[in-house]
Amino acid sequence: MRSPAHACMLAALVDSHLRGAPHPTSGRVAEMSNAKERKHAKKMRNQPTNVTLSSGFVADRSGKHHNRGGKPFQTQKSESHSGSWRQRQTKMTHHSSPGANEQSSSNIMFKKKGGWKAGPEGASQEIPKYITANTFAQARAAEISAMLKAVTQKSSNSLVFQTLPRHMRRRAMSHNVKRLPRRLQEMAQKEAEKAVHQKKEHSKNKCHKARRCHINRTLEFNRRQKKNIWLETHIWHAKRFHMIKKWGYCLGERPTVKSHRACYRAMTNGCLLQDLSYYCCLELKGKEEEILKALSPMCSIDTGLTFAAVQCLSGRRQGSLMLYRAHKYPRAMLGPVTFIWKSEGTLGDNSESRQLWIWLHPTLKQDILEEIKVTCQCTQHMESTVCIQDPLLIPPQEGNQSELPDEKTGKKRKWKDDGENAKPIKKLCGDGTRDPHQPYSWTSPTTGIIISDLTMEMNRFRLIGPLSHSILTEALKAASAHAGGEDTEKTPHQWWIETCKNPENVSLHHRQEATFKLLGGVASPAEIPAGTILGLTVGDPRINLPQRRSKVLPDPEKCQDDEKVRQLLLEGVPLECTHSFIWNQAICKSVTENKISDQDLNQKRSELLVPGSQLVLGSHESKIPVLLIQQPGKVTGDDLRGWGSGWDVLLPKGWGMAFWIPFVYRGARVGGLKETIVHSQYKRSPNVPGDFPDCPAGVLFAEEQAKGLLEKYRRHPPAKRPNYVKLGTLTPFCCPWEQLTQDWESRVQAQEASHGISCLKGEEGDFQRAQVPCASALEESRHPDNGADPATKDSHEAESVMDTECPDQARTEQASSPEATSGLCVLRNRRVLRQLSAWCGPSSGNRWAAQRAHGRGQQELTRETCLSMSDCFPRALVWVSLSLLRKGSPEPHTMICVPTQDDLQQLLQDRGYCGPLESKHSDPFKSKIRKQKEKKEAGNRQPQGQAASEGLARRGPDGESLALTQGLWPGPLPAVTSHCSRVLLGFVTQGDFSMAVGYGEALGFVSLTGLLDTLSSQQAAERGLVLLRPPASLQYRFARIAIEV
Amino acid sequence: MVRFKHRYLLCELVSDDPRCRLSLEDRVLCGLVRDTIARVHGTFGAAACSVGFAVRYLNAYTGIVLLRCRKEFYQLLSSALPFITYLENKGHRYPCFLNTLHVGGTIRTCQKFLIQYNRRQLLILLQNCRNEGEREAIQKSVTRSCLLEESSGEEEHLDSGDEAAAEAME
Repeated sequence: MRSPAHACMLAALVDSHLRGAPHPTSGRVAEMSNAKERKHAKKMRNQPTNVTLSSGFVADRSGKHHNRGGKPFQTQKSESHSGSWRQRQTKMTHHSSPGANEQSSSNIMFKKKGGWKAGPEGASQEIPKYITANTFAQARAAEISAMLKAVTQKSSNSLVFQTLPRHMRRRAMSHNVKRLPRRLQEMAQKEAEKAVHQKKEHSKNKCHKARRCHINRTLEFNRRQKKNIWLETHIWHAKRFHMIKKWGYCLGERPTVKSHRACYRAMTNGCLLQDLSYYCCLELKGKEEEILKALSPMCSIDTGLTFAAVQCLSGRRQGSLMLYRAHKYPRAMLGPVTFIWKSEGTLGDNSESRQLWIWLHPTLKQDILEEIKVTCQCTQHMESTVCIQDPLLIPPQEGNQSELPDEKTGKKRKWKDDGENAKPIKKLCGDGTRDPHQPYSWTSPTTGIIISDLTMEMNRFRLIGPLSHSILTEALKAASAHAGGEDTEKTPHQWWIETCKNPENVSLHHRQEATFKLLGGVASPAEIPAGTILGLTVGDPRINLPQRRSKVLPDPEKCQDDEKVRQLLLEGVPLECTHSFIWNQAICKSVTENKISDQDLNQKRSELLVPGSQLVLGSHESKIPVLLIQQPGKVTGDDLRGWGSGWDVLLPKGWGMAFWIPFVYRGARVGGLKETIVHSQYKRSPNVPGDFPDCPAGVLFAEEQAKGLLEKYRRHPPAKRPNYVKLGTLTPFCCPWEQLTQDWESRVQAQEASHGISCLKGEEGDFQRAQVPCASALEESRHPDNGADPATKDSHEAESVMDTECPDQARTEQASSPEATSGLCVLRNRRVLRQLSAWCGPSSGNRWAAQRAHGRGQQELTRETCLSMSDCFPRALVWVSLSLLRKGSPEPHTMICVPTQDDLQQLLQDRGYCGPLESKHSDPFKSKIRKQKEKKEAGNRQPQGQAASEGLARRGPDGESLALTQGLWPGPLPAVTSHCSRVLLGFVTQGDFSMAVGYGEALGFVSLTGLLDTLSSQQAAERGLVLLRPPASLQYRFARIAIEV
Repeated sequence: MVRFKHRYLLCELVSDDPRCRLSLEDRVLCGLVRDTIARVHGTFGAAACSVGFAVRYLNAYTGIVLLRCRKEFYQLLSSALPFITYLENKGHRYPCFLNTLHVGGTIRTCQKFLIQYNRRQLLILLQNCRNEGEREAIQKSVTRSCLLEESSGEEEHLDSGDEAAAEAME
């Protein structure tokens, strides 16, 4: 019946099952986490276990083996009980202990004997002589109890009602026990109780109703903006934008809807609205000469107009410039700012004191504020805060009371402190993070300049695009002049009544109104002179809010007033029209406080006799002083001039939403931070702070960006991310400007040494001296008004003198203190930039340009001029814009490389030539990483290995030493310029497909030394051609370099 | 829910020799059943049944055995069970046979059936007992099993307490 072969096979089978199988499982069990084991044990806790006669031995054995972590004699199933195995076993034996004992003791006495029929099937079973029935019964009873336990008690991790079949489930079963079948109700009850206990404490300590009550909502609203400053439009933005916390603010990054292209269209054809209230404003008050004297070391005439430019100084225009640390130009850059002077008061303001507002990006604020404080010698803290500041009250405040700050620390602190007993709590408006004890205003005893930090004291909205005129003129209506004095006592807007008493003011107001109305007839803000300022007092814009959102179209009828419009376009806004009451803090404060709430306004609207008719508030209507500033669009380069121009609207704080909604309702599309970047990219202007690698904020920004990108890179597995080592990209996440400039310096030096050309020191000096007067003459010729103002001329001269000294100073400083710089600077000297820009273009093609260059007295591109220039600005970077010739859209951190002669030849022969390919690099670190990993897996981490790995470890941007990351270059970089087959010239900081021009465009920095070297080595016809290669690609693409001044 | 469907065979091991019970262990039984299937149904049968085959429960005192098999091939297993005629362990052979009591789709139904079956057994035993001592002993065990049924709730409390203590110990 059974062949030996079978037996052999089966024995082997059994063997494999019994000996072979448990080994892997036992290994797995040993590794299996304790938690998983426990979970399984819990699941199986009510299930009956096997009962064998030798269970006592098994228990012993299993215990012994369990200690060792593996149980070769048990199958996996029985192991899984291991958590409570012994306990179970003892219990079992306890249940059946009498039987077991007796049986094991009477084992020998058992005898076969014909017995009674046991099973219902009639299977005969022989029963031992004595106490068998008893044993039999007890064994059965024990089994019944075990099975009962298994059947009645839920053992799995699921809830009670989940054990029911689907057709028996009912809605609300999970919380209503009565819905369950009766047999399960008890269990469900227990479970529900347990769940209630497990549920964590309710986070909100107040009930829903209490939370919704107005006071608590306001408190909560105020609390939420303690950490990061909220703009006034925050809630509006938070509903529609991806919000990010940046620079201490909560800002909308980009709309949640898909709107990249739509925003571009709005900028070009419509109107894009942005809330720029996060920009910081510093106010300088004092005598004009003192302020100019203090600020002149911080800027240079080389980079363009300074604070003393005539147009700006009179208050007609907004100016923009670069700030440097005092006397450190061209190094130690602080950042770009824009500024407005308050127009000299014809209106009875004291003419001695002038007001200057400097607007800057929040990342630059700390550095610039400190520097200005130093240069103005403002060290004394003013004890009052800006919001209650009154120019007349300042001198007495300084000296005496010390209890004044407590009393007058501004409304917002008061709301918080004694809001419960005295005042109803008001919504926080302005800066919620300010520390009441920190000063926001400084004065200087010697110069008399008062500096105050007006951050978040005003709203700044930016409208970009041609429709902004129509939207402005539609949304804002000039306030009606107060006519009669019948109800002067009642209105809260006392200041307006006071103002209207003076007929001069009224006439000025009417002139401002007329000028503002003219704007409606101008097709685009680009037609208005750049930086024009227009002051205005407007009525409440909420009153004539349209019923629904619509799009404003320019009204052709308004374009009738030809003569006046032409005058406006030619001469800009008349000087006196730039006056605005927003400069007066007291008026701003009163306007903010006396704002009629939305609720009251709507209440009044609902009480109108004819629903939907115009609401007339009369003298109760608020009058809001605003300031309109024209923002120039693209001012550099030849194409797309004036693209992206618009208006900035300055409002007193508290009025943000009241103006925002009317703008939006008239068809303005709202953009976030991303749109700001796109705007500056298409304008080809550097973006703050990313495109200022020489200022501290820019360095910080680059570090953060590198960190973020590295983190993102690490999230992908090595096979799903580019291997930058193989692609020959040394720094895919940052731009090593310093190393780049150093490399180029040493490179050119080596070249020179090989050429054997000596440096012509004397000539250089002559050259420099010859150029300076030329530069100042240029300046003057461009701005003929400069000569008229003696003060400006003085400052110009002072600055031009400084200019001659500055490079020398910088050089000596660099030599003396190596910390001063690391030597990096960005070339912003307009004269040199203009020269470079002329060299960059293909000179043969454009004869007119060449002639123009000659007329300006520009030199030919020769070795000497190059040398002198790069000596003047050692280790400088140049801001360039690149436009791709054919395909390709560059991205940030794209490398700008120098094409070889072969590349240019090939391009000349075949216009469709895309560009060369970089050959693949080898990855020497891959094997190291593998070795490291193996070592780690082996588990023998010796201190030696540790040290070695740390030696190899890559220094992360956050300073901690990280293990090697596959695909990134670890450790110190080799020579960056010559790492690839084409010599590296610089990096792209912004780049994308440009919808404004229809092909890829990039903006970036190149090394000045490298650029000059490249230009001088290239043929005149193809001068300015470079190669671009994105970090994750091997393909080079041709692009034309341009320097736009 | 997607799952493997099984059949559970609740069998009773009937043997004359009490030492047969002594040697009743799951791995022995496992080998024996595999052995038999291979003998009866050949290599195909052995392979088909060995997938998912397991001894889920075993009680040496009562001789109850619960075998698990995939649903598709349980007939191969049930048809092979009558061919088991002896139990071999440590060189000893004990004649025995397996009596299939119930075939179920879940362990739970098998457990329920087993409760019914054991009750019935006890009642039969009670009817057939001949002297008073036996009767008393059997009655005691019957009542005990019934009592257990009622007090199972309390027991669970005790049990969970024990468990918590055990976990704390770990």
